[in-house]
Amino acid sequence: MIDGEELTLFRQSLRQAIQSHNGTALDTALEELGWPDALAADARGAVSVLFELQGAANVTSSALDRVLASALGYGGAAVVLPAPAGWAAPAVLEGGRLRVRGVATASLGLRETALVVGRAGQSHVAVAVETGTLARRAVRGADPALGLVEVAGEVDAWRELGPADWRAAVALGQLAVGHELVGASRRMLELAREHALARVQFGRPIVIFQAVRHRLAETLVAIESAAAMLDAAWLDRDPLTAGMAKATAGRAARVTARHGQQVLAGIGFTTEHPFHRYLRRILVLEQLLGGTHALTRELGREILARRRLPAPLPL
Amino acid sequence: MELDAFRASLDAWLDSRRDELAPTYAGAGTLDQKMAQIAKVRRLAFDAGWARWGWPERVGGLGGSTLLRAYLSEAITARDLVEPGLYSMPEVLGPSVVSFARPELSARVLPPLLRGDDVWCQGFSEPGTGSNLASLTCRAVRVTGAGDSGAGRRVTGEGAAGAGWRVTGEGAAGAGWRVTGQKVWTSLSQYARRCVLLTRTGSAESAHRGITALLVDMDAPGITIRPIETMDGEQEFSEVFFDDVLVPVDRTLGEEGQGWAVAMDLLPYERSTALWQRAAWLHRRLRDLVDAAEPGVLDPLALGEVTQLVYAFRARSRATVHRMAAGDQLGPETSIDKVLLATAEQALFDLAAEALPAEVTTGDDAESARWRGEFFYSRAATIYGGTAEIQRNVIARRLLDLGSDR
Repeated sequence: MIDGEELTLFRQSLRQAIQSHNGTALDTALEELGWPDALAADARGAVSVLFELQGAANVTSSALDRVLASALGYGGAAVVLPAPAGWAAPAVLEGGRLRVRGVATASLGLRETALVVGRAGQSHVAVAVETGTLARRAVRGADPALGLVEVAGEVDAWRELGPADWRAAVALGQLAVGHELVGASRRMLELAREHALARVQFGRPIVIFQAVRHRLAETLVAIESAAAMLDAAWLDRDPLTAGMAKATAGRAARVTARHGQQVLAGIGFTTEHPFHRYLRRILVLEQLLGGTHALTRELGREILARRRLPAPLPL
Repeated sequence: MELDAFRASLDAWLDSRRDELAPTYAGAGTLDQKMAQIAKVRRLAFDAGWARWGWPERVGGLGGSTLLRAYLSEAITARDLVEPGLYSMPEVLGPSVVSFARPELSARVLPPLLRGDDVWCQGFSEPGTGSNLASLTCRAVRVTGAGDSGAGRRVTGEGAAGAGWRVTGEGAAGAGWRVTGQKVWTSLSQYARRCVLLTRTGSAESAHRGITALLVDMDAPGITIRPIETMDGEQEFSEVFFDDVLVPVDRTLGEEGQGWAVAMDLLPYERSTALWQRAAWLHRRLRDLVDAAEPGVLDPLALGEVTQLVYAFRARSRATVHRMAAGDQLGPETSIDKVLLATAEQALFDLAAEALPAEVTTGDDAESARWRGEFFYSRAATIYGGTAEIQRNVIARRLLDLGSDR
């Protein structure tokens, strides 16, 4: 466990790294800081601190690949993620062929092989696929700065790595993306708050208007509820709770974006204010490793099918 | 005792006494039945020791963390033995009376409260004092016994007849308080032996500085109770009128003018163990809803969202309960807990009204009455204990540091 003074120092050094680096430079900085070791020693500390900072600073890295690879037990590779909204394994292994459809972070382009998890019958298997055998498309989409790569292909050559606990990997990835959403949401709230305090209309800062204050209050409630769910998921280590936390964080980010954009008004609709970069980012992150609606509907389906609620968080 | 050991042994006890602890009625029960059930559960749990954990030894407790108290309320709520709204009053009022009452008084009044022999009520709101609690006007003036110096005469709640008392000048060492005024929304006052009462002892303009808290005996002459029937068909609330009610001076909680501090001291308890119990209740009712709804009626998306709201509130409340047990000072951040509870509770019973339309609209059996009653009650979740708007004002000013709204 990283805690106390050590955690403060860890957070400080990560913050410095994130302030001055982005993308592959940030990956290098994280290596040098020993973040991958921290991930192995204390997943909760390493994931929650880094991803909240990454979300707040609107930077990118291949830390999510690290998180999934470490959960799968096949470290240090670019990992193919499910296509937006879904969380099922991005590949199917059938009749001696591997059908892949998903997305990946920019790090895929720098690696010769990609770690792909495929469903094989009732179980999952992890394989290494040569990146060059997959069709890749650099995604611009809603958030070009995120640098995602769309991956597709049907290949007949791969190296089998072994069985994969995909559910556990998804759960850990959902927590990482959840923390990134919370970090981005806190920053959006701060941007809206600063604007409300500074912007003068009718001779007074708009922050005195209850309509504005209540939007900001509503936003904080949504963010704190997501933060509490993420904490709960780290506590009970139940993949179902991780899915609920991801959905709650996605919903909180959308609530934050809606209220934040309304408070920022005109300026928040332009590229002259940083808000748009956060809205773009959370729009994509909300769909990564399970969209809010898809996760929520599936949770309801599962409860109805099993006629049982997820286990309640114990005191 | 540690939480894990407490949990295991309490669970075993609750299971072994299942029949004895169970309610004797089906569905919601009448208010009288529910109060009798709570008294029974409290008595059995107190006599077996469970209800004494988490309370200081000087008021009849066995010491230990407040987590033990929180777990007891969770465990009996999860088993549908008590209704949290009616059960939690001692959890809310007890700790502050322990902190502010004279030690002899708290040692005398707490044990029967914890054992369920006594019920207490909370006299805060007034007809003109809803969200703005500091504007309360129920008046208390110092009085002393006529014909004596004020010293030496022992005034008890039971014997405090109005005759022979006179009002003294400001600052005089009187023997008691004479209370005149009105309270409203006073839950369970018709059952209550005592009342934690906020009174105006300063000038009309003294706001939160001129408030004094008293522990008043509800059988004192001059108290009139008029129950109010709420839309869920209960008479949980009342108006309480105080006409020259005499209260001994040793019933003052804290010092004169410290009433606001007493009122603020209650808040952490109202927002921690009492809300945690609500989380257990919401979980149980959500489970009941899944069991009760006809196949195909519950929309998976709506059910999933309500489940997430209920779980998120529980996660937030758990963290708050642990912060209190660790000795943290709870403050305005608990407004978030209150907003999350109200949101989850209304969402759950909105879903119940959609998924159990016959029960909620036309059913007259005990279970239908319960769903309908809880649906109606949930409408007040954004009103009682500080309205949703007041919570958002607190969050804006205190947590987001947005400054004054004027």
